[in-house]
Amino acid sequence: MNSIRVFIIISLITFSQLINGQSNVNPNISAIGTFNINTNFTKGSDQFGKLNFETPDLELFVDGYLNPYSRAAMNIAFEEGKFNAEEIYAEVLRGLPLDLQIKAGKYLAGFGKINTVHPHAWPFLNRPLFHQVYFGEEGFNDIGFDVSFILPVEAVYSSIDIGIYKGDAIGKTEAPDPESEESIQELRGINPVTVGRFSMFYDLSDYSNLEIGLSGAYGLHAKANLNLPGDSAAATSLKNLYFTYGGLDFKFKYKPDGYTSFTIQGETLLNNRSVIRDNGIGINIEKQASEKITTFGSFIYCDYQFLKQFSIGAMYDFTYGIIGDAPGTNTLSNDDKNTTTGISGFAGFYPVEETLALRVGIQHLFFNYKDGRSRDGATEVMLQMLFSLGPHKAHQF
Amino acid sequence: MKKIVLLFAFLLFEGTSFPDVKVVATTTVIYDLVKQVGGEKVTVDYLCRGDQDPHFLEVLPSYMLKIRKADIMFEIGLGLELWAPQLIDGSRNSNLKLIDLSSGINKKDVPAGKIDASQGDIHPYGNPHYWLDPNNAKIMAKEILDALADADADNFNYYNSNYEKFISRLDEKIKQWESLMSKVKGKPVIFFHASWVYFADHFGIKIGGYVEPKPGIPPTPSHNAEVINLIKKNNIKFIVMENFYSDNAPRQIASATNVKIIKVAVAPFGMEKINNYIDMMDYIINKFSENI
Repeated sequence: MNSIRVFIIISLITFSQLINGQSNVNPNISAIGTFNINTNFTKGSDQFGKLNFETPDLELFVDGYLNPYSRAAMNIAFEEGKFNAEEIYAEVLRGLPLDLQIKAGKYLAGFGKINTVHPHAWPFLNRPLFHQVYFGEEGFNDIGFDVSFILPVEAVYSSIDIGIYKGDAIGKTEAPDPESEESIQELRGINPVTVGRFSMFYDLSDYSNLEIGLSGAYGLHAKANLNLPGDSAAATSLKNLYFTYGGLDFKFKYKPDGYTSFTIQGETLLNNRSVIRDNGIGINIEKQASEKITTFGSFIYCDYQFLKQFSIGAMYDFTYGIIGDAPGTNTLSNDDKNTTTGISGFAGFYPVEETLALRVGIQHLFFNYKDGRSRDGATEVMLQMLFSLGPHKAHQF
Repeated sequence: MKKIVLLFAFLLFEGTSFPDVKVVATTTVIYDLVKQVGGEKVTVDYLCRGDQDPHFLEVLPSYMLKIRKADIMFEIGLGLELWAPQLIDGSRNSNLKLIDLSSGINKKDVPAGKIDASQGDIHPYGNPHYWLDPNNAKIMAKEILDALADADADNFNYYNSNYEKFISRLDEKIKQWESLMSKVKGKPVIFFHASWVYFADHFGIKIGGYVEPKPGIPPTPSHNAEVINLIKKNNIKFIVMENFYSDNAPRQIASATNVKIIKVAVAPFGMEKINNYIDMMDYIINKFSENI
């Protein structure tokens, strides 16, 4: 209820500014609306072939300079019928020693390249599978702060970002109720996670560019009370379970003119973590033990923009974990046995820049269970209309 | 030994002058004007290539590196380079002096009343394509002179001498261009984008219409039909367009009317052999006068 009140107040302030005309000192205000219609062709689904009209999503962006050195931004989202502060942060952009930049608040963490880009700006329609498994449905969106440094190298732009985050995004992949802060805190307590990224950007020619990044994240993902001897009468041992994510990403873009471009982009995440596993029968119940698992996920896509207003692309996705599983100690990010593979195709029509977009996408998921279980693949077709009202920023590579 | 090294260093660097001011120009038009005025005492680089549409530039980290090292950044202003603030923020350069070269320009197409996106890509402070009037290039060069003299007062005489030479050369060329354009004066011309108002006013050309239905809005079949009627009705000889736009719609119009399509670069390095502002204007003027 409070979030609704906050949203109404913000809306009244911002739209009253729109009505009165924006002066030079007002922040930029823009709204992005998304309307999805989807259907699935999954055998056995009671929604097979039926059109599902999703409640439209809205993102209200307000951003601007606070002073000559810093700026702030917020993104209030209305998704699945609920208001949510998607991002609220401030950045110190200049004036700090060593030309450091500092960002603090709630925002999309810099693990990999695609995570920092808002989904409406992706050429594809579905969040990469490994994001859903290792970061949750909303990606690595967390509360924290980040320090960014440009390396003093003349020829190549290279930067290092290091951040400390609350870790809710990590907890969402295994907390019984991922939307509940209490549930996440019960799972992992208050234990920040550290995230870092090193990236290098090259101008390969006047028309082609390449960015390569290495990311890492480390922290505690869960606390668990283990019954080591398998004795229901024995006291349990508290065990801290840690994770390490390593990431590799790249983006190549060839843009010979303003009307055509070809992009190929990919990311991989390597997950190494301690998990709880049953360890055979003890005195009267299952013994529990912690063990290390190593899993991974990756995606690669290409997108071809032609005639300025049209684009078409394809994506290959793979991850450990089964998409759609409930979070738990053996599922999603803790699953080292089962995998999901996805193939997608997508096309977009952008009549006038990014003010309006019509996009269509199809994704087929293959599920592979190590115990031999068989499950039909899931196919989803989605039609999306997207609008952008107000000033929109230039495209970031 | 030490004396020999010192002598060698003295001989090596004696007579060598290092640039005093580092400049980034958002476009190659500005780049050339800075080179004309700043000469060898200025290091200058540009962001938007001559064959790119300056309205839309992707925010590349390599541009941030260029700005990071600069003392001064010159921009066209009037909302042309909406991408510039992101690049400046990314550069982290807290000592950068940003100079908007439109400050001394008599702005045209300044919208009156409420504007919104239904009118197309309207620039609220006026049409930013003012460099196509050569008199405005003189105003831009003066702004550049003032900024360089402010940043490097010791070399004022050097900059001023370069500026006066450039203005004198430009004045001569303006006379030539006006003479060549006299046969186009008063005649209607179709342009692709609303970027020619300053040029048309200077040379007395009548703007017959635009291929774009509204500024920045892609051509539509119904608007193409209107343009075809306009061309036939007013006996218009050619369509002028920047070489970074697609010529699909102009070719459709040309096939129905036999109108000529003139593609020009509107910035140095936008085409081969166009290496500076005067080359660019020479090319444009020659194309007009040859095709009328």
